[in-house]
Amino acid sequence: MIVIVGVSHETAPVAVREALAFPKDQLKAALEQVKKDAGLDEAMILSTCNRVEVYGRSQASAAQALAEFLARYHGRTPQEIEKHLYVLEGEPAIRHAFRVAASLDSMVLGEAQILGQVKEAYLEAERAQSLGAVLNGLRTRSISAAKRARTETAIGRNAVSISHVAVELATKIFGELNGRSVLLVGAGKMSELAAGQMVRRGARASVLGGRSFEKAEQLAASLGGRAAPLESLRAELARADVVISGTGAPGIVIEREDVEAAQEQRHGRPLFLIDIAVPRDIAEGAGRVAGVFLYDIDDLQKVAAANLRERKKEAAAAEAIVEQEIQEFLEWRRSLEVIPLVAELRRRADEIRKAEVAKARQRLGPLTPEQDNALEAATSAIVNKLLHTPTVRLKELAGHEQAEQVGLLRRLFDL
Amino acid sequence: MGSRGYLLITLVLYAAGALHALLHAVFRKSSLSALSLGATLLGFAFHTAALALRWSEAGHFPAVGMRDAASLLAWAIVLVFLLVHAITRVEAASVFAYPFVFALLFVANLAADSERADPVLRSLYLPIHVVLAVFGYGALFVAFTMGAFYLFQERELLARSPRRFYYLIPSLERADTIGGLSVQSGFAFLTLAIATGFLWNHSLQGRYWTGDAKEWAALVAWGIYVTILVARWRWGWGGRRAAWLQVAGFTAVVFTFCWATLAPPLSAAVR
Repeated sequence: MIVIVGVSHETAPVAVREALAFPKDQLKAALEQVKKDAGLDEAMILSTCNRVEVYGRSQASAAQALAEFLARYHGRTPQEIEKHLYVLEGEPAIRHAFRVAASLDSMVLGEAQILGQVKEAYLEAERAQSLGAVLNGLRTRSISAAKRARTETAIGRNAVSISHVAVELATKIFGELNGRSVLLVGAGKMSELAAGQMVRRGARASVLGGRSFEKAEQLAASLGGRAAPLESLRAELARADVVISGTGAPGIVIEREDVEAAQEQRHGRPLFLIDIAVPRDIAEGAGRVAGVFLYDIDDLQKVAAANLRERKKEAAAAEAIVEQEIQEFLEWRRSLEVIPLVAELRRRADEIRKAEVAKARQRLGPLTPEQDNALEAATSAIVNKLLHTPTVRLKELAGHEQAEQVGLLRRLFDL
Repeated sequence: MGSRGYLLITLVLYAAGALHALLHAVFRKSSLSALSLGATLLGFAFHTAALALRWSEAGHFPAVGMRDAASLLAWAIVLVFLLVHAITRVEAASVFAYPFVFALLFVANLAADSERADPVLRSLYLPIHVVLAVFGYGALFVAFTMGAFYLFQERELLARSPRRFYYLIPSLERADTIGGLSVQSGFAFLTLAIATGFLWNHSLQGRYWTGDAKEWAALVAWGIYVTILVARWRWGWGGRRAAWLQVAGFTAVVFTFCWATLAPPLSAAVR
């Protein structure tokens, strides 16, 4: 049975998550220990900043032992972490594993990182030789389901962070950013992040520095661009395609007149102004100049929210794909369960037959070869005919959700 | 089965494509796209077969009368949009193309076959002239679509809160570039179509200009696209102004074209 015990951003605050996290260099030792402590056949540990989960497979239920391990390993008592913990066994555990890989359980729905982290976690488990047929099956299936969900739906398509939204909007205006100019006014963390992404897509950066020109020069160097003094604002505006303004200035830095003057030299080429400063740097009127698109921090947030709504709409389609893959995985699992059961049933019946034939021989005394053959044939035929229908039915069961009936059969025949 | 049967199958397949285009626009289910593309390609195959059959049935290039003209124009538009899709991967283009193609084919299916059997129609000028004209109009339709995309996307971006079109249609730059290229190629085709038309007139009647309504329609279209090209090249009119011109230009072309096709009497030359 597959069991998952863990905490995530939904059940535990960051303080608990970080306390339970497994550093990468400890994973191998931790995997060996959990297999020993909880009596697992297979184990895997997924430890990211948003979740810590231990995956295990064992014959008997290992949930309790896993929870115990997770606490003790980090020097806690199970009671301390109990209320943050989720414990999933069997089908719910499988469903969870698939949804995590497909980023349907992520804090930011559809974020791309988790799939890489899941792959890495399985790889570590493989290196520690703690993966067997079942978790390996779960690994292959859940990763391919996640890939399908990403390519066949738009769940990861639209940007949901401010800096990514800025880049997305720039590409909605300019298409490829290759060869475009990004002008940074003021050097802030957010401007740097957004500009960095644009530079990676082939844009050229320049940085306008005010009082602290040195800072501007440093930032320009890190972006592979050049620095210019704030006095050359109008000339730089005329040259830029995207302007990211994030100074700490108390008043307006870019007036409508500056933008109008720049637009006159641009022959109607679009200009994308991003104002991420609070208080704002760019006069509101600048957004009404023809060919100018002005977005302040609230506008970017609105786009991010709209994009997240789009992702949520897509989530249903992604869930459907993942569910389909889960069903296929479950079917595969059940077929694994049924095949040994059939063999066992046959073996058991044959044992009984042989024992009874032996007894009959004792009672009957010496038999002619014909009589002996007839006895063998008759008893074999009875066993085969009796078991024929159950065998066929069992194989049919393999594809369906009939775990109870399989269990019943085991009880009936004491297998 | 004659060309009529093939054309009906084509209509059904394009209808499936048109329906998908609508669903795509409403629900943005991109996974359906392969299905719609398949229906379109299959429809296009039937359409081509229908045109070929019709050619042999009529004994001349099938471009005479409402039915054949509409069918041929629809065929060219589908071909041009398939090309645009193959090159640019802009799926949204189908949103505009499908309804238009569907309407044209619907008309073609309802209209009666032209029974004219003029020896003039066996001229080699007919297929050359008509194919050039039809591709010209097809390219100008792409320019119209891209102009509309530009204006829709610009409105979305200025509104600062994305709605449907923001996600559906390409970037301003892309709409502008594809639109500009379409105007250029459409203009080239149209110029050649007009030139071959004049030559045909001359070979038939000894005159280049006969005053036919279609000649006026082509001339108006040509004038509009010269304006767009000059505006783009000389005055640097990219972006929204070019987009407006592309939309207004094609609308004018459609009006003159309809007026010219419906206005009797038609002269011997087809277009």
